[in-house]
Amino acid sequence: MIENHRHPVLREDTACLTGNLAIVRGALEAGVQFVSGYPGTPASEVGDTFSAIADTAGIHFEYSINEKISVETAFAASLTGARSLCSMKHLGLNFAGDPAATIPYVGVKGGMVIVSAGDPSMITSPNEQDQRHFNGFLHYPVFDPATPSDTLEMTRFAFPFSEETRLPVLLRPTTRICHSGGMVQPRPLPKTRNNIRFEKDPPRYVPTPPNARRMRKELTGRISLAEDLLLGSDFFPRTGTGKTGIVAGGVAHAYASRVIEELGVQERISLLKIGAYPIPEMILADFLGSVESALVVEELTPIIEEKLIISAFRNGRMIPILGKKSGHFPLEFEYSPDLVESVLRKALDLGESPKKSISIPELPPRPPVLCPGCPHRTSFYHVRRVFGQKTVYVNDIGCYTLGYGPPLDCCDVLLCMGSSISKASAISRTTGERVVAFIGDSTFFHSGLPALTNALQYDDNITLCILDNHVTAMTGFQPSAVSDRGPEAPSIEKAVRGLGAKNVVSVDPFDSEASVEALKKARAGTGVNVIIFNSPCVIYEEKLRPRKGRGSYDIDQELCDGCTLCVRVLGCPAITIEEDKYLIDPDLCDGCDLCAQVCNRNAIHRKAKA
Amino acid sequence: MSLKIMISGTGGQGILFTTRLLTGFFVGRGRKVVTSQIHGMSQRGGSVQSSVLVDAGDSPVIGRGDADILLGFEPVETVRALDCASARTAVFMNTTPVIPFVLSQQYVQKQGPGTYPDLAALGDTIREVTPSLFQFDATTMARDAGSSKSLNLVMTGCLFGTGIIPGSAGDFETWFRENGNPGQGEPNLRAWAGGVALGKRLNPVEQER
Repeated sequence: MIENHRHPVLREDTACLTGNLAIVRGALEAGVQFVSGYPGTPASEVGDTFSAIADTAGIHFEYSINEKISVETAFAASLTGARSLCSMKHLGLNFAGDPAATIPYVGVKGGMVIVSAGDPSMITSPNEQDQRHFNGFLHYPVFDPATPSDTLEMTRFAFPFSEETRLPVLLRPTTRICHSGGMVQPRPLPKTRNNIRFEKDPPRYVPTPPNARRMRKELTGRISLAEDLLLGSDFFPRTGTGKTGIVAGGVAHAYASRVIEELGVQERISLLKIGAYPIPEMILADFLGSVESALVVEELTPIIEEKLIISAFRNGRMIPILGKKSGHFPLEFEYSPDLVESVLRKALDLGESPKKSISIPELPPRPPVLCPGCPHRTSFYHVRRVFGQKTVYVNDIGCYTLGYGPPLDCCDVLLCMGSSISKASAISRTTGERVVAFIGDSTFFHSGLPALTNALQYDDNITLCILDNHVTAMTGFQPSAVSDRGPEAPSIEKAVRGLGAKNVVSVDPFDSEASVEALKKARAGTGVNVIIFNSPCVIYEEKLRPRKGRGSYDIDQELCDGCTLCVRVLGCPAITIEEDKYLIDPDLCDGCDLCAQVCNRNAIHRKAKA
Repeated sequence: MSLKIMISGTGGQGILFTTRLLTGFFVGRGRKVVTSQIHGMSQRGGSVQSSVLVDAGDSPVIGRGDADILLGFEPVETVRALDCASARTAVFMNTTPVIPFVLSQQYVQKQGPGTYPDLAALGDTIREVTPSLFQFDATTMARDAGSSKSLNLVMTGCLFGTGIIPGSAGDFETWFRENGNPGQGEPNLRAWAGGVALGKRLNPVEQER
């Protein structure tokens, strides 16, 4: 752990910061006073960093229960005059769509920034939606940084800009910005911050239809002010005076810039960077007037390209505009320097790249897998044993999504945060079968509670397994509602009973007998049965309270007959097979004992301490 | 002069820590550094790739054949990152495998090879791209130094020991003693020294100097 005063975001010397840390630094330099967020890769480190420095920096910080609450708290803090920021991944802002949609109408008071990180190529996400559409869709000014340095400058710029326009700003870094490091030049932290006071003004803050219609008219004026302010910003720099135009945004601008230099074609090119939306019309018109063609380099959807086509048409400037719609760039996935180079070579008639492509032999993949000792594996193992192969298993977002695929095979359907219970309800209602749903503690509080209320209201025929490992593990061990709060922590069991569930039981998944008994009862029952599998994440426990270790296990080669059972049903990465011998890697084994319970030959035992 | 280093390995091998060390060292010497990391969803065991680019512009990604150095913490992962290498790339490869979990699944389900690729064949694949392949058992060296967690310092030491990157082993050690993690000090420093000594042996040019 880095001590607070030494934390990179609190230092003032030139540094290499990731995009996520640059956001934190930029917000601190702007005098941010209130920060909230829900973890989601690739934005998780924004909240983690604020969490680490909030006390030192004197700011309010919360890990919100979900993104909707995060956006709402940041908005309300803004109404008191506080500069506020909330952070989440791209999908999180969909969950917060309801409050997010009306904030531009009501308007903010203290500057408000929503960080909603995109994930082109879906490195850790189920979709790659383009957050820049929030500009056209809900009137948010969207800032799209190309480097960590841009990220810092844009975050700092966003707060006073937001106050002047009364619009919330959406900052959209992508994975390649969030997790890339680049040089930044910090400026001193401000000596004063906004005064805090909630001034009553109901007509301003209550969007009843008559008020909302007035707000809608005002909004048009504020959007136009935003465009004027952006016209005077540094977010649309142009380099070169060549006749071939290139227009690029986000990290693709950094790729294009590099490729132009490496190809040595600077004289032929004019490169325009698009760093914010709405793009002031004059910038596009001027650029189109000075070049003979324009190639657009932007990831995901052709937003810049369409704006250019419209501008060209309106200004009667009929030059070739190339990009995704012309088939030069693919519609899917993130770009790479190699892709940008090959398209640029084509556009400039430079011939094929001399770089040889290498044929790499097929290599064993390393898909994500539940850790050795993970309580979820144990829960899945028991559930599968009792409910068998034919039962439909619906899963949710978290580490337990890794129940997907063999050997655990506990994920037949997956959609989004908190959806397992509602999916199970509907599948059981239409098929008449008893369905099993899985959800973790953080996701249960995030959006599982309303779905369970719904299932109870309709007395759906489901078994709900709440996998309570006391932490939001997947995104880097952020606290959930039940983490480290001792007796103050909400009780999932009491909450579930309070909603009206009658068949509720809490078990330790490592207590096989109790787990199997609870599952058999649930299987025989009807209506909603809830089993809370309560066991802490082993990695988080180790971080909190380093143990001497449960000791690792060993396989007695005399007794092991190579029956394959342990590997076939558990999928524990600590068990390997070398030259037909089954072995346990002592560095990986957590000593959970599950494999010893599974082995029919009684060949697996705890190692005697040396 | 620009320098592009690709680091490849598996989760838990200290790839991200190594990235931070190299970044801090070069920034401290007034160089401009850009980095990029791709790590999947797994806390442990997944593939991790990280790039460190020194004085090479704003683009954080190393293009095809563009790396000066490929630092491979694990054999399969070294080959997985090979697209960044060309004839001028120096490849450093730790020869101790981290067995992918899928292999035992392949074995029991009798689907796929079920065994780890042949080490010599992996080396041949690399040599088809570049003659500069340096292979050594860095994991055992780290264990002998006191902790397998010091693997990253064996690798970094070896890199500096060869003298092929700007900055001497002495400079890095001074910087590391001031800015590194003191918690694991002794095994780390022994691992580092072992790596440096190995690096010096690996590169005949350095010995003649």
